[in-house]
Amino acid sequence: MIGYVAGRSPLHRAHPYTTLSVAAAILFGAFAMAQPLAVWLLVLAAAAVAAVGGVLRSSARTALLLSLPIWVLLFVLHGLLGATPRVWVGPVSLSAPGIARALILGGRVTAIVLGFVTALGTIEPHRLVEAMTARGVPFGRTFLLASTLTVLPRMRERAAQILEAQQCRGLRLGGSPVARLRALGPLALPLILGALAEVDEQVLALDARGAGSGARRTPLDPPSDTAWQRAVRWALLALVLAAYAWKFWSMRA
Amino acid sequence: MTLRDLVLIRLGVAVNLVIGQIVSALLLPVYLDAVGTILVAALVGPRAAIAAGLVAQVLNAVISGNFAWLPFGLVQVAIALYATAAARLGLFRRFATAVPAGLGMGFVAASCSAPISYFVFGGVTGGGVTLVTTVLRALGAPLGVAVAAASYATDLLDKTIACALVCLLLRSLPRTLAARFPALAR
Repeated sequence: MIGYVAGRSPLHRAHPYTTLSVAAAILFGAFAMAQPLAVWLLVLAAAAVAAVGGVLRSSARTALLLSLPIWVLLFVLHGLLGATPRVWVGPVSLSAPGIARALILGGRVTAIVLGFVTALGTIEPHRLVEAMTARGVPFGRTFLLASTLTVLPRMRERAAQILEAQQCRGLRLGGSPVARLRALGPLALPLILGALAEVDEQVLALDARGAGSGARRTPLDPPSDTAWQRAVRWALLALVLAAYAWKFWSMRA
Repeated sequence: MTLRDLVLIRLGVAVNLVIGQIVSALLLPVYLDAVGTILVAALVGPRAAIAAGLVAQVLNAVISGNFAWLPFGLVQVAIALYATAAARLGLFRRFATAVPAGLGMGFVAASCSAPISYFVFGGVTGGGVTLVTTVLRALGAPLGVAVAAASYATDLLDKTIACALVCLLLRSLPRTLAARFPALAR
């Protein structure tokens, strides 16, 4: 399950930028790690962050479900079909460098997914919008991120309605690939043309709410930021830069 | 950026994310996750198209939870720039030009996605592309060749259909609606 989980953990109470910085540090840190042990230490660190946020069980389950198909494909592509030298694990011959590479790549994906699912589980969307507004982020950016998420269910519903309506009119969804490709127009066109026709109406509605004024907006209840949280964010940036410096230094050595 | 641009970007993002629902209902072996980006490039311009592509990539990660694929946002930027150039040249006005434009876009997209897929993810990005890569690898192709061949094959097909669909959309726009988008007249 992906989404906000209500709670009172330190991550829930932290400024949203701090939690996002942790997730971003895991993302960039994962690509800086080139050894299986280092990558798996990062996975453990991501799990520790999830535990601090009180969402370890749900985040780990989601991360596992999302990473599992990748793990299977990595095992086949690198473990079974990888380069020599090979090692025998029971009756199966596996590529030794392929398994090492699969451990690095799979660990990266697992760490990144775990980090961001934890962030999504502990950042209340409303608090994030308030934090962005308090920082003077232009209205357009907050609008695009927050408003699109609310539009999506409506568009999905409309797509389902168009699908049913066209099927009632005799549109066949099966058949040869060419026949199915031909059915794409009658389904996609009404959805997109209908949405385009509503653009002006939505612009007027936004304009009436003062969205186009360009004035700096005042948040009602901005999340508090503290000196130590700012220090944590700077420390995370320094850690990521140090990880990349170490990576490039060891590549040259 | 005007309010109108913002609303159109939001529409482009929603189209990128929702079109997959139709594609999976038709069981087509493509993604078409750049139709909204191409449409915004044709209707507004490069800045809006890049914004639509990047926001769609981020929101797709938020919805699916799969944040590991964020580096592929670079492919959306390349598609947005290419689509703007193609639209300014009027290539989306006729199928005869939209289809070759789609093939070119597929080539550009694959040239961006194949190195990311190979170097960052070892060729495993999930979905149909990885299955094609695995089959080619099992047939004896080196990993780099398998990843590149799978990326080019899927992107050429995907972007050609996407460009043909955008051409169909622009041709189907009622004249009163088309007149509201000055970029179309250029």
